Amino acid sequence: MTRPLVALAAVVLALYATAGWAQLATVSEMPLVAGDPERGRLVFAQCRTCHYTVPEQIHGNGPNLYRIFGMVAGKQPGFEYYSVAMASAEFVWTPQLMYAWLENPIAALPDTTMMSAGVPDPGQRADLIAYLQRLSVLGSGD
Amino acid sequence: MSQAPDFPGLKRRELLAGLGAAAVSGLAAGAEPLQEAQVQAWDISTDVLVAGSGSAGASAAIEARQAGADVLLIESLPHFGGSSAMSAGVVYAGAGTALQRALGVADSVEAMSSFIIGAGGPHPPLDKIQLYCEQSPAHFGWLVAQGVPYAEKLSTAMTVPTDGESLYFSGAERAWPGRDLAVPAPRGHVPVARGMTGGRVLMEALLARLDVLGVVRRAGVAGQRLVLAGDGRALGMEVNMAGERKTIRARRGVVLASGGFIHNREMVRNYAPRLYDCSVPWGNMGDQGMGINMGIAAGAAALRMAQGFAIVPLYPPESVLSGIVVNASGQRFVAEDTYYGVLGDAIAYHQQGRAWLITGEGSHLPPQQDNFPLVAEANTIGDLAVKLDFPRGALQHSVAYYNRHAENGTDPMFHKSAPFLRPVQGPPYRAWNLAVDQAFVPVHTFGGLHTTVDGQVLNSFGEAIPGLYAAGRTAAGLPGAPYIASGLSVGDCTFFGRRAGLAAAAQGASA
Repeated sequence: MTRPLVALAAVVLALYATAGWAQLATVSEMPLVAGDPERGRLVFAQCRTCHYTVPEQIHGNGPNLYRIFGMVAGKQPGFEYYSVAMASAEFVWTPQLMYAWLENPIAALPDTTMMSAGVPDPGQRADLIAYLQRLSVLGSGD
Repeated sequence: MSQAPDFPGLKRRELLAGLGAAAVSGLAAGAEPLQEAQVQAWDISTDVLVAGSGSAGASAAIEARQAGADVLLIESLPHFGGSSAMSAGVVYAGAGTALQRALGVADSVEAMSSFIIGAGGPHPPLDKIQLYCEQSPAHFGWLVAQGVPYAEKLSTAMTVPTDGESLYFSGAERAWPGRDLAVPAPRGHVPVARGMTGGRVLMEALLARLDVLGVVRRAGVAGQRLVLAGDGRALGMEVNMAGERKTIRARRGVVLASGGFIHNREMVRNYAPRLYDCSVPWGNMGDQGMGINMGIAAGAAALRMAQGFAIVPLYPPESVLSGIVVNASGQRFVAEDTYYGVLGDAIAYHQQGRAWLITGEGSHLPPQQDNFPLVAEANTIGDLAVKLDFPRGALQHSVAYYNRHAENGTDPMFHKSAPFLRPVQGPPYRAWNLAVDQAFVPVHTFGGLHTTVDGQVLNSFGEAIPGLYAAGRTAAGLPGAPYIASGLSVGDCTFFGRRAGLAAAAQGASA
């Protein structure tokens, strides 16, 4: 599965470079490997130092990720540190897009304020997405 | 941070295609220093070159500039602020800072240094500790003067305040043995922030000062290797600027302030193997050890490279501290109510990374939480011990001994504080896995280049390498293992960063 997934990230970059955010909808329809949310809990641990996952609208150095899937990117009230590109984004966060973005965040969006190398490993990234999907249903404390 | 990144001559599409690859290869590079004779012409010149834009680099740049030097500050990543901007921004300060006095807190140089020396690891850098404590009130005043906002509000909670308080007990002062070393004083000074964003607030203030003072700062410029004169003096640096090699001449000095190496997996495995399996390498991705490696390649000594912090956040809620923490032999080994950096150190460095929290009725821990997984539950301690495969009778013995004394309000082994001293009694008994690779365990490196109190980099013979300075986590500073208080790292970064900047600016310009 590795090769199509890498290709997926490349598609995201190419689409953004040539046509902007609107075209990213195509990516959201691509198939995604199912990950394990419990392993994803540990993958997400590195993200937790900046991202809250609680229902209360509180933000760390990154925006809150409670129920992130389904939200329009770069628009959370109270978070004032989106990059210019992210603030002007027109797409809705889907598991597929998050998966593609986290392969190499700075390459995908050079003005991102997230100074992270992302999660290059496809398996770990799938686990992370599964964990975020669980949060989208439950919230971390439930 | 808020300033737009600057990629000279590079188009967006090229960035998309190549930035990631260029940055990674640039960071991974590492080579012996360039000799002066190999440099045809310098591309850029300045008095003081600062590599790294965290709190150490920014503090160095501010002071060097105020001392009259032309200063160029470079950052390998697209945004400024380093790992300091990701941190809580706590500065460990005391001995009677303005904020402590305003809040009626009594403190002294002696109390502060006694705690730092006594609660930390063996053979700490006494000269740095003494200076740091003596000048702590003045250093806090400097931070205020740079525009870092603090509120006259004290928090008594054990965790970093996230609701606007600016002073709290940020370390192990109130736990044993800290409270016997000196009268506990709150010394964690936190910029006013909502959420855990104090580091961003701190860096916004310091970076704004750079601009006011006229420090030139460039993002996306990654140091590759130092340029040395024939006599070993540091003359400048070769950098990767948007994929091109450029040389920067630093007439007075080079300050390496490029962070630690927590995101360089190979360095962590080689130098700090106890941190390698910990679940959360914490720092921004620039912590690749480049400053340390450039320094070592130029002949510098590196100290305490195996040390770092490992945080195992038992609390909040603080009520959980009435449970006990045991090792694979079912035995206690630490005061559970100590600072979570001391607990993490005990687990990561002294218990092979393995430990369990044992709770009984009334521990008030939500069954589902993300800090550490629930791994066993039983109606008796004996059954719990069987499920955990502990040596026969060991956990029962530990709990019985602890309970017998806790009922009388004492803890002969580790002197847990009275508010948390309650018997572990009544089912359900639960075991929570605190193993460093299973629990939420943020780690960061503390080892770095050997420096004087003025940031001058020393070689293995104790001789200074002329023109070369280091600060922050690129240097071996105040923080060590165990990490006894939040704020010692950023405190060290800002305090000794300033001194390194001053010393570099004061050095006579080399020809």
